[in-house]
Amino acid sequence: MRPPLIVAALLTIAFADAAHAQVAAGQVTITGGLSWAGGYGIGESSAQLRTNAPGTTPPPFTLFDVDSRIGAALGGEVRVGVAVAPRFTVEGGAVFARPRLSFTISGDPEAGTQELEGESLQHFLFDAALLWQLPMASHPRWRSFAVAGGGYLRQLHQDRTLVESGQVYYFGGGARYWLRGRPESARSIGVRGDVRLNLRMQGIDFDNDLRVYPTLSLLMFLAL
Amino acid sequence: MKTLALIVLLALAASSPAHAYLKLGALVDGAVVDVTWRGPVRYFISDLGTSGVSATQLRDAVARAAATWSAVESANVEFTYLGLTSAVPDEIDGRATIGFMDRPDLEQVLGATSFLIDITNGDIVEADIFFNTQFQWSVSATGTPGRVDLESVALHELGHLLGLSHSALGEAELQASGNRVVTATGAVMFPIATSSGTIAERVLHADDIAGISDLYPTSSAISDTGSIFGRVTKNGQGVLGAHVIAFDPERGVLISNFTLNPQGEFVIARLPPGPYVLRVEPLDDASPDSFFSVPIDANFRVTYAPRMVVAPQGGSSRSIEIQVAPK
Repeated sequence: MRPPLIVAALLTIAFADAAHAQVAAGQVTITGGLSWAGGYGIGESSAQLRTNAPGTTPPPFTLFDVDSRIGAALGGEVRVGVAVAPRFTVEGGAVFARPRLSFTISGDPEAGTQELEGESLQHFLFDAALLWQLPMASHPRWRSFAVAGGGYLRQLHQDRTLVESGQVYYFGGGARYWLRGRPESARSIGVRGDVRLNLRMQGIDFDNDLRVYPTLSLLMFLAL
Repeated sequence: MKTLALIVLLALAASSPAHAYLKLGALVDGAVVDVTWRGPVRYFISDLGTSGVSATQLRDAVARAAATWSAVESANVEFTYLGLTSAVPDEIDGRATIGFMDRPDLEQVLGATSFLIDITNGDIVEADIFFNTQFQWSVSATGTPGRVDLESVALHELGHLLGLSHSALGEAELQASGNRVVTATGAVMFPIATSSGTIAERVLHADDIAGISDLYPTSSAISDTGSIFGRVTKNGQGVLGAHVIAFDPERGVLISNFTLNPQGEFVIARLPPGPYVLRVEPLDDASPDSFFSVPIDANFRVTYAPRMVVAPQGGSSRSIEIQVAPK
């Protein structure tokens, strides 16, 4: 199932829930677990020479083409949230992953099309988000939520010799399930699943275009 | 009809093996040092014209080419025009003279640069440029069919005069006649001239800019650029004369250099910081003696580095080994 469809399905389920009890304002939640980010292309580029045709802007001669991609990667995610209102929580989070930057060479008459080994990147995302607990619940231990946020992206090339930064904005939704305790109680533990659609600007990119990719997170939380 | 010819460099010293770029070098106390000017380049223009080009038109074309080199922000290059002279370019008189000469003995040479170098320190004492009147020249702003653009060739020769050697960033084909026909260029310092009527080579490429910035760097060029260092090997042995091209996919620029010692080591310097694709190719579509005075290895296949290599700002990459296979 494609990510936007997953988000839509979760929101539909959430709105089908009945009204339920709310978390207490000021409650702190610590969350951590695994986060998977989908891969995405970061641009195509052509290595071109100037041809010998007359005029000031002769057509180019393409030596080779490069198609670059950041691969899907599993990483770690930690979040700290504070309930600012019964249904709203402000969160700060950090994600670390090691996606692979790969590239494919084509169009070189002296060397066939080839996918090269690429390099391992270090990917950090520091974000802030607003989580809205939806006003419905189908089960006393389940709560659905919608979330939107944005953050600072920091990507390091292999050998950590160059940093490229950018911004990521996202929206999505998910659900929490309390394993111990209840949503309205302090000192409870549970699991949380998130689906987000991310809009990435800048960072490692050869066209500096807007990139869209999904993330799926499976997290444990501890409400204090 | 296309008129194509080799632009050769006279008094070519050994190429510098130490840093970046194919530059001219002089052997000083057993070490190869860059050949450069100390201070502004002061030059005269010879007062002889040729068919369709007067001495003042030559002066203006050279001034435009000199201004193009001087405009490189990351390099400290300065020219000073001292006036017209009755001297001719090949006289050893301690003055830089640029002018036309009739050289029927060099029927394929558009122009050439000769040097007088202080071998105690590598300083250029004198450098002269001649343009061969065996060719039909043009100073038209838009180029003239059937004539070679004087400003384009002056830009190339002034690159030599400043201390640059040839770049191999271009494509050429060997014809049955033995002449090489250029099909595309990625550097003004590519040794084979573009066809007559073309004015596209009045503009420097990234490769030329990196080269001149390596010879005469500004302080910001040193701190703001990076370099890539590595080695090309074949069957475990270094490859001499391999052409290594660095491509920046973000900016779309190509900058190249050669492996310049038997260990197969190369350095490409003054690169804008960022990741680069590295392509290694044999020097088999241009005349090797336009670049090297020693035998080189051209028996290997085009090969890419297995990963992108980052040129860090103000520093150098870690060494990367690129293993090539025989053809």
